[in-house]
Amino acid sequence: MFPFNQPPPTAFYVALYMATLVLHVVPMCYVLGGQTWLATVGLWEAARGPASAPVRGISAALRDWMPLALAVTITAGVAPLLFLQVLCQTPFYTANLLLFHRWMAILPVLIAAFYLLYLQKSKRFVDWPAAGRAAVALIVMLLFGFVAWSWTENHVLSLQGQAVRVEQYSAGGLFYENAETGPRLALWWAGALAVMAGLAYCQTGRLAGASRPLAWLGLASLTAAPLAALAWQRSLPPEVWSGLVAQVWPYAALLLAGAAAQLVMWALVMRSRRFLPLVAWLLPAAASLTTLGVAGVRELRRWQSVDIAGFYEAHARAAAVGGWGLFLFFLLLNTAIIVGLLAVVRRGVRRSPVDRA
Amino acid sequence: MAFPYYPLQDYGPVMKGMVIGGLGIFHVYLAQFAIGGGVLLAYFQWLAGTGRLPLARRVVDGMFRVLVLVSFVMGALTGVAMWFTTIQVSPRTIGLMVDQFHWVWAIEWTFFALEVASGYAFYRCASRLDDRTRFWLLVVYAFAAWMSLFWINGILSWQLTPGGWSETGGVWAGFFNPTFWPSLLFRTLASLATAGLVGCLVINLAPGYKRSERRVLIHRAAHLLAPMALMPLAGAWFLMAMPADSRGWVMGGSIAMTLFFSLGVGASLLIGAYAAAMLVSRRLMMNAATASLLVALGFFATAGAEFVREGSRKPFTVRGALYSNSITPDEVAKAREVGLAAADPYPLADGVAYPTGQLELGAKTFRLQCSVCHTWDGANGLAHLAETWTTQQLRLNVAQLQRTKAFMPPFAGPAEEVEALAQWVRWRLEGAPPVWDTTDDPAVLRQITDDLDAVGTGPGIAIQQREGLQVDD
Repeated sequence: MFPFNQPPPTAFYVALYMATLVLHVVPMCYVLGGQTWLATVGLWEAARGPASAPVRGISAALRDWMPLALAVTITAGVAPLLFLQVLCQTPFYTANLLLFHRWMAILPVLIAAFYLLYLQKSKRFVDWPAAGRAAVALIVMLLFGFVAWSWTENHVLSLQGQAVRVEQYSAGGLFYENAETGPRLALWWAGALAVMAGLAYCQTGRLAGASRPLAWLGLASLTAAPLAALAWQRSLPPEVWSGLVAQVWPYAALLLAGAAAQLVMWALVMRSRRFLPLVAWLLPAAASLTTLGVAGVRELRRWQSVDIAGFYEAHARAAAVGGWGLFLFFLLLNTAIIVGLLAVVRRGVRRSPVDRA
Repeated sequence: MAFPYYPLQDYGPVMKGMVIGGLGIFHVYLAQFAIGGGVLLAYFQWLAGTGRLPLARRVVDGMFRVLVLVSFVMGALTGVAMWFTTIQVSPRTIGLMVDQFHWVWAIEWTFFALEVASGYAFYRCASRLDDRTRFWLLVVYAFAAWMSLFWINGILSWQLTPGGWSETGGVWAGFFNPTFWPSLLFRTLASLATAGLVGCLVINLAPGYKRSERRVLIHRAAHLLAPMALMPLAGAWFLMAMPADSRGWVMGGSIAMTLFFSLGVGASLLIGAYAAAMLVSRRLMMNAATASLLVALGFFATAGAEFVREGSRKPFTVRGALYSNSITPDEVAKAREVGLAAADPYPLADGVAYPTGQLELGAKTFRLQCSVCHTWDGANGLAHLAETWTTQQLRLNVAQLQRTKAFMPPFAGPAEEVEALAQWVRWRLEGAPPVWDTTDDPAVLRQITDDLDAVGTGPGIAIQQREGLQVDD
């Protein structure tokens, strides 16, 4: 089973990359999906007047947590970015260079989006006219959409061979057009909404009436995602698809199991009139399972195009470099400190007179 | 030869080093503020919690918002930007760094996570926490921020002084290299000073304080400037730990580097002098304008120090392992035999019509070997540097680059590529005429080969050592 059918160093780095990618993708989905919700609700309110109280409650929670979610997304993104460079340096760097300042534009775009998230969270923002709030929410969603599209485009370009690279460089094109890019982006976006709905249920499921809109969103995105997946499958070169089919089943199984579990739980939420704590725990777990499945399919797709054997020696050299044990030590230590710290803060907040009031 | 060619981009009149340097300086200053800011806030929280200065609590809450808005957003994203910009400017350098130090970076990442967790916990919940919890949260935040400096400092200082790594390849031999400790000390002092200055500015700008309250708070914030007294010691230690040739550039060998070094020292001295006056005279008040000016001076001091750190590595990006144009010493030797630019698979995409294949080869040679530090007629432009040179002088200077200027890497290619580059420069200096003769005089090529052989494939310092020139290490 991929990646364990590779030499040990390669398998190790691929597994590590996929695990850290999931850690990055889950908060990323919250940000992308959450902002899509906020933009949609914002536009609705600008056109039709205030949304229902539960919808406004969900929006308020999303606005409040969005800056932290983006900070976590960016921080969590450092690790997969690091291991990706250990795994397949040349294709990744080449795609970066080919897209040049169009690619680098994601950084100022993210800075602008980050500050707008703080604006969106501010107390004054709630008093803005609906059109103004909708405009800000829409702009931020488009900025995140630009970043998502750029990553997708960069990734698809990194899968191409030398002839495409030379052609892209000669043309001096700052955009790379490929049939795979659109469906792939649509798949991520639809999936992001499902993951966000699950996380938002944990946060706001106790609010009266909040479960139902989130369940609708979860069900709708879980219906849209397979359609996007189908479009993506049809965009793949036949030889890539046939190579993928042979190995993809463990990850497809994970993905389907996670998606089926989410469907069942959203159905339960729809039927129930009260908050279901167990579902609140299980929904993000199922969404993470689906994300792991998607990450596996994504990597398998990469290895259909990239000559993995050509990197075996580099992986073996990287695995011989010292520091792994110390990393594991600090990973465990700092995770423990974070858990302890959050527990202390939670206890402190509960003891606080403000909180008790 | 399995040389990893990348599709290098043209930055027009801007030198690639200026892009990475400019962003680097900005990021470092923000990072210094984040690191020192944690210490300053923990100190103020301690003052408030122990009853020494109760009004410090408000400063903590207000300044933490500034820290989040400046450091958590701009600091984090300029950090990522540094990574992506390095890929754009020198993919092989960042690739080598990742290959060697990915676990160190991964360790640093765990501290980023701790920094974000403690920072946001404070940001969201501080108003509902008791003083003791607030203090320890800030201590954890400050510790995590400083530890991120600890880890990245090992990687950055390794680039200048790889230490035992050069012989053994051991990651810890490279990490704890000769400039690790002086650099760590210097950066820690700079972080404290930066936070002290920004603290003074924030206190001045915060509403609701009486003048007497501001005076007390500003004098407390200025305490973080006191360790600056150790800066000359740390700076001297760093200079002494540098390789002799690198120190030579700073101490007059390269006027640009000497000027930036002087700028850094001068700006630091001015800040230090003001800090000393503040600490001695309790009547002296730093107003917002002065604080802004000192923050700006701090930025220039950082700019000077970072420019010196980056520039003094020349002709390497990783000393002894990778030249500044991303070619290794072994590849230089091999390229002298089999060529380098001729095999570059990426065509020229500059829209220029080249009348001959030799000129195309010259343009590719420029792109591959020169464009990281030179433009054509912008910053550090070849047009300005070579316009008065004769063709013969041009050939000699290119063939013996490391003798022309010892902070340039040796030429990586055979005589044909030297001649192609020389012809390309001449052709462009002549206004890029549509007709240009290809030069293939065997006597000229033989002379270039002799010139190349005379300097060998090592860096300029190797020639100096071989010939016994100006080496005082």
